[in-house]
Amino acid sequence: MKIETLFRHCREAFRSLTRNTWMTFAAVSAVGVTLLIFGFFLVFAFNISFMASELDKQVNVRAFLQPNVTSDDIDQVIGQLKKDPAVKSVKFQSKEDGLRQMKKQWGDDDRILKGLERGNPLPDTLVIKAKNPQKTKQLADSMDQYSQIADKDYGEGVTNNILDLSAWIRDAVFVFGLGLAILAAFLISNTIKLTIFARRREIEVMRLVGASNWFIRWPFFIEGSIIGILGAIVPMTVTLVSYNAVIGILDANGGQGIFKLLPMWPLSLYVAGMTTILGIMIGVWGSMISVRRFLRV
Amino acid sequence: MIEMHDVYKVYGNGVKALNGVNVKIDQSEFVYVVGPSGAGKSTFIKLMYRQEKPTHGVILINGVNIKRVRDWKIPYLRRNIGVVFQDYKLLPNMTAYENVAFAMEAVETPRRKIRRRVQEILELVGLYDRMNALPSQLSGGEQQRVSIARAMVNNPSFLIADEPTGNLDPENSWDIMYLLEEINTRGTTVVMATHNKEIVNTMRKRVIAVEQGVIVRDEQQGEYGYED
Repeated sequence: MKIETLFRHCREAFRSLTRNTWMTFAAVSAVGVTLLIFGFFLVFAFNISFMASELDKQVNVRAFLQPNVTSDDIDQVIGQLKKDPAVKSVKFQSKEDGLRQMKKQWGDDDRILKGLERGNPLPDTLVIKAKNPQKTKQLADSMDQYSQIADKDYGEGVTNNILDLSAWIRDAVFVFGLGLAILAAFLISNTIKLTIFARRREIEVMRLVGASNWFIRWPFFIEGSIIGILGAIVPMTVTLVSYNAVIGILDANGGQGIFKLLPMWPLSLYVAGMTTILGIMIGVWGSMISVRRFLRV
Repeated sequence: MIEMHDVYKVYGNGVKALNGVNVKIDQSEFVYVVGPSGAGKSTFIKLMYRQEKPTHGVILINGVNIKRVRDWKIPYLRRNIGVVFQDYKLLPNMTAYENVAFAMEAVETPRRKIRRRVQEILELVGLYDRMNALPSQLSGGEQQRVSIARAMVNNPSFLIADEPTGNLDPENSWDIMYLLEEINTRGTTVVMATHNKEIVNTMRKRVIAVEQGVIVRDEQQGEYGYED
């Protein structure tokens, strides 16, 4: 396509958008509402899957050693575990280490832990990470073969629930988002149908003098993408500003545990990118389905 | 050259518009298509610029079987065919100049060429002075001349006119006919469906008469042959 023709198509698209201000507004709003919901879901889904993967990383087997083991016994178990192909790492945590960590986690409320130094009830512990976090349960079960190990613990239910939840939310977002996108595309298609209706004489003449189908389509194509881009601006801003606010309130960026949220930077890029791309896709799709009818010979 | 071999056209509602038409129109011919209303004239015309597809038979335009042409190629086929209608089909919010230029823009002609060519063609149809007028400011005859200018601006080999004088008074009708004759003498094939007895009988050309979907008469320098 010649650059002159491209300018012409853009001119036509803008003329049509500004001439039908209210219909443009309606179409942009339709895209906007869709994308706003989509944006919130996107942020939610990203964070859930982020939490799940963070949790995956934290999943480990804590093997509690018998109270009477010798350091030779400990070395022996560690040596055997390290040879196990399912094991990624083994870390020894003495009962003193365990108490120190507990105190750190409890923070100012460590008064109840005072006095425990003398009769530390915590066992010596091996912290074992699995090569594949999904197979943590099997790894935990294999601990029974070591006589030096009294008991074991892994974050059972929580991990599985989080993984299930994130998969379910991803599906829900997909289905819900698809429904909304179809709805928005039809709204846009109706809007553009009206602008096409106003210009059907022009299209008829273009066809008579031999304008190619793409020549006729291009302005509507551009019109649809502009509607999509315009429709993406507001929801994108609202989503990111409110997410920033949520991060601020929870002060979760430097926090710990399950409420660790994704930081603004890469997330805002994903959200902005995906929202805009989806907006353009909805816009273009909507305009293409309405222009098709007018291009039949 | 336009050729039709054994062409039938049955519309979706069952109306049989054409029932086996055979015709050959040479380059630079001037042909009237006459016949009563509903005889199939319009279908005959529409098949030529591929507004309608034949149900059966072969239509060759300069040797190309237009039934076989893929949909996306039809625009390129149409660039070789100018079409003029009874109701002009001008775009009301564009000036005479813009209406004609629009046809060149639509086929992606560079702008510098457009200006020269549009002025040239408006001069040919005698509307050089009126090029900035909107269709509503022009008389019926002038509007039809703009529409002929638009049909001719891309230099097609064929000009197809469906009752071009149908809405015009006799004086304006004659102006249009002289214009079409001028275009024809410059080498363009003109096919014109008409009900205008006076014109056909005065400007003697080839006459093809269509009745009930078949060609009942095809004469060089023929007459109109109907009383209406």
